[in-house]
Amino acid sequence: MNPLSRVLGRLRRHPVEEEPAVPTSPRQTVEAFLTGFRHLDVDAALSTLSGDAGVTIHPLQIVDGGRDELATLLQDIARSLPDLLLTVRSVLELGQVVVAEIKIEGTQAADFLGVVNQEKHLDVDSAWRFTVAGEQITGIDVYWCQNQLLRRLAVKRTDQIAIV
Amino acid sequence: MTELAAAPPTAPTTGSEKAAAVATEFFDRYRRQDVEGMTDLCTDNADFSYIPFEVWAKQRVFRGDGKVRTVGKVIWSGLINSFPNLGNVVHHVDANDNGDVAVACDITGTQQIAWAFIRPAGGSIVAPHLFLLHVNPDGLIDSIRAYWDNAQVCRDLGHLEVD
Repeated sequence: MNPLSRVLGRLRRHPVEEEPAVPTSPRQTVEAFLTGFRHLDVDAALSTLSGDAGVTIHPLQIVDGGRDELATLLQDIARSLPDLLLTVRSVLELGQVVVAEIKIEGTQAADFLGVVNQEKHLDVDSAWRFTVAGEQITGIDVYWCQNQLLRRLAVKRTDQIAIV
Repeated sequence: MTELAAAPPTAPTTGSEKAAAVATEFFDRYRRQDVEGMTDLCTDNADFSYIPFEVWAKQRVFRGDGKVRTVGKVIWSGLINSFPNLGNVVHHVDANDNGDVAVACDITGTQQIAWAFIRPAGGSIVAPHLFLLHVNPDGLIDSIRAYWDNAQVCRDLGHLEVD
């Protein structure tokens, strides 16, 4: 079963019938991840990652992390931005590397990355560089500007993000 | 994926190799601080967008969006002026036959002159960037977009205010 069918099956809350094996492109694997992310289904998104996937989230100073760090980020987003809107600006397939430009948008409903909840609207432009092997994501590098995010959430100083 | 270490010594032949070669040359010129040379690799009307670059004034927001020959050259020249040893370390160049190129690199430098609202304190940066370029069939770059964490840059330079 290809990654997108697996994710869609999870989202429908019932199993999808086994399909004949069809080669899955790196782009389709990434789109399966994004489908899970978009629906706030962290497990579905993570199901597209290999067990030893390397995760670097530059704005959070997480370098060479793994699934756990990504799971924490996705769970934070799901909890803090329940009305999440992901707008995909582009998905570029570059061999085994896929780059997705994504606007992450939502209204803060809980503390997020250390920022107290003021119910501010957040929109942040991000770029995700995926490395795909077979039908699994083996590496993710995430880029966004933390100043852009903090500015939207009315934070004044990066050393005092809990004070607004 | 086109890894730098595995770059073929022969002239590029496929569309993806040609696009990757143009991008590599662009960053070589950036490392030499050759802004005119960087611009020469772009079309006259090449689009430019430095996504994190936004300055919130009282009644308007200035963004790093526009054209290479207007906004891009000004930003590159300003950066080189403020960081006289501005350089870059390219980690990955990945391209496809449509001319799309992604370059993962670090922009490096030590601040000597004020940059935006940041006064010079001799701070240094090693800022991970992701550049997305598009190379047209004539071998010229017609679009540049870049993502990075400007909070890290500001922090490394001792500037802790968000605005």
